[in-house]
Amino acid sequence: MIKLPQIHIGKLSLLLAILVWLGLLFVNLVRLVGVLNEMDSGIAIEFTWILQILYFITVYSFYKYSINKSTQSDFLNLIWRGASTGIFAVTVYLIIGFFYTSLGESKLAGDPFLKTFFYHVRFGLMTVFLISTSLLWQHLILYQKTKRVVKQWQAYEIALLVAMFLVFFDREAYEYSFYFGMVLLGILAVILSTNLKWIPYLTFKEKWKSLLFLAIIILAISYMLWYTVSVDMEYDYLANLMGNLFVISLFWFILVYAVLSFLVTLFNLPTSSVFEQKLTEAINFQRLSQSIQPEENEEQVLDILMDSCMSAAYADAAWLAMKSEEFPEGFFQERFIDRKTREEISALIEPQKTIRDWESEKRPDNLSPINLRIAHSKYESILLVPLVINKSVIGKIVLCKEVRDGFNKEMLNIISTFGRQACIAVENHRLLNQAILNERYQEELKIAQRVQKSLLPTQLDHNEYFDICAFSNAADEVGGDYYDTYKLDENRFVLIIGDVSGKGTSAAFHMSQMKGIFQSLIQLNLSPSEFMIKANAALSKCLERNHFITASIFIINTAKQTICHSRAGHVPTLIHKKKLNKSEYLEIDGLGLGILRNKQYENHVVERTFTYQPGDVLVLFTDGIVEAKNNNSNQFGYERVRTLLEVYNELNPQEIQTKIIDSLHDFVGGDRLIDDDYSMMVVKFTKQNKAS
Amino acid sequence: MLTIETQEENGHTILRLTGEVDASNSVILDEAITKVVADGSSSILVDGAGLEYISSAGLGVFMSYLEDFQEKEIDLKIYSLSERVYEVFKILGLDQLMHIYPNKKTALES
Repeated sequence: MIKLPQIHIGKLSLLLAILVWLGLLFVNLVRLVGVLNEMDSGIAIEFTWILQILYFITVYSFYKYSINKSTQSDFLNLIWRGASTGIFAVTVYLIIGFFYTSLGESKLAGDPFLKTFFYHVRFGLMTVFLISTSLLWQHLILYQKTKRVVKQWQAYEIALLVAMFLVFFDREAYEYSFYFGMVLLGILAVILSTNLKWIPYLTFKEKWKSLLFLAIIILAISYMLWYTVSVDMEYDYLANLMGNLFVISLFWFILVYAVLSFLVTLFNLPTSSVFEQKLTEAINFQRLSQSIQPEENEEQVLDILMDSCMSAAYADAAWLAMKSEEFPEGFFQERFIDRKTREEISALIEPQKTIRDWESEKRPDNLSPINLRIAHSKYESILLVPLVINKSVIGKIVLCKEVRDGFNKEMLNIISTFGRQACIAVENHRLLNQAILNERYQEELKIAQRVQKSLLPTQLDHNEYFDICAFSNAADEVGGDYYDTYKLDENRFVLIIGDVSGKGTSAAFHMSQMKGIFQSLIQLNLSPSEFMIKANAALSKCLERNHFITASIFIINTAKQTICHSRAGHVPTLIHKKKLNKSEYLEIDGLGLGILRNKQYENHVVERTFTYQPGDVLVLFTDGIVEAKNNNSNQFGYERVRTLLEVYNELNPQEIQTKIIDSLHDFVGGDRLIDDDYSMMVVKFTKQNKAS
Repeated sequence: MLTIETQEENGHTILRLTGEVDASNSVILDEAITKVVADGSSSILVDGAGLEYISSAGLGVFMSYLEDFQEKEIDLKIYSLSERVYEVFKILGLDQLMHIYPNKKTALES
């Protein structure tokens, strides 16, 4: 594929415009030669017209392109472009004028060829000025685009295009169609010229500059118009290039728009500071309403607030006083005021009744700024702006002015809006920080949950003479229930179940201590009662005063088919005796761990050994199961668990556990949650040990 | 929900508990007992007739005063507990350490 070189429209149209202009010059000079020598040059007048229109179009496309390209150009730049083109064109006009003046009455001065040449130069420059400036005007007019304005502009452009070709029909006869077109284009130009919405956006200084540039444009166009009418029209050139409807319309359009812009800008000068002020307020408002980024702090918002309030009220001095936990004395930010003056003014305003009401608790819900007169040597009026979050005053801004009654209603309105907006920003910032913090806590709790899950054994120690399963559920992310197993030797296994008082995080910490104590003490080959005594001693050192742990411990000897058991305040363990076909709770005295933190504890520990038979079932659980309540505040209770075991003791441990837990959930009710930790361990003795 | 009424009667301070004591409100019970002690009472009677439920956290409150009261020779007696609540004290073994009576009369006589 052949890659076409990228066509540079700007350069191309510039080149074409120059060529067309040269062509036009050449054609008209040739015709002049023909006329002077009284012979037909054979070039029809239409040829000139076509070249003229081509010239208009190429200049138009060049400027269209070059103005669109420089998009960053602001209003002043645009107007300056017009003005500079005008200056350039007028300078060339003047130079040509001087040139002729210097020639005086010489022969060269009357030379028709030279005259025609300069006529073409002036025509070229004038066209460039007219087309470029009208395109600049287009930018200004379409600054605030509405469908209507765009349609009007398009209509104007089409009318101008038609005007270019009019010459073919009326053949420079200036008939009704010419005047009709002129009036139509003139009216359209005036209508378009009312679009001056760019002017208010200029600052005061910019307005002065634009006045200067507009004046230059007006002078330039007036000069060209005068020159065209008074000089060029006097001399009868062979081809009338300037009398074209297109050119005349553009003259009118540029002049009208320039004059209107000039006048409007001039009359806008005195009010421009108000508009600027409003614009600053709008920008400040926007800055305030942008919620604070997490890495930023409240002070930045308060900073913006101070600036905004001061500029909105033209305040001479101000300070900000924040009530904050970090600064019990109050946090102050002073602007153009020293500490001494601030305290003087504070002393003056504090005794006033409105302020005292304001400081008291029974203030109105919707606080508005308070306007005060004070008798201070420097400042005569004061505005107090409250900063309120969630109905509580977090601080205030005090604005001071050196004139009496310096704050008007508009200022009060805008300032109270600023204050509210800033408070919303600060509040959002605080809420966001809190949310982030909460998020982190949640994350930490999830970690704690994972760690705690790993504290419960995944593999339960047992041998072929008994089956075992266990399960635990915490009410919160973490809980205080604990169970564990330990293999002492081939035939002896330890089971433990425990419950830390309370629930949640504190319980979870104590539960992990319990695990540590169990895992270390049990290796010492202690009997259940010795274990409890030592565990109590150890826990007495580390449990909080109002915390305790209940536990049940079992040492199963599968060789002898015995169970040695001790209970430390834990809910009784359920046993099903196959031989009797009866389930019952193991009754044994015992005191929770950590309740008596001295030697006396030993008096409360009991240990019991009993034998078991294959088919017997042990169900260890925590109080969360028996204390679970349904909607009628009835507890699940010991009796229900016992009955369930009597019914389902033939099943394997996992099935028994599932039956009990399902039954528990049915009792509590599907959507009601059990608000305590609950755990369960089920042991079923399977077969006779031949050794025993 | 837990409400505690405090009442002076012949040199005894009676704390009348109504409702449930659990982890969320055990602090209230703790504060009530601390206040009674701070007020100089040396005989505290806890009326548990209106007590529907006590969790381990609630038991922890009574437990935490055991040694303290022994040292200061302050009597703490609990009476009129419902069977269900008494069971909780009993299972934990607190019935061996605390003075729990079936009714006010027996509590005062002992």
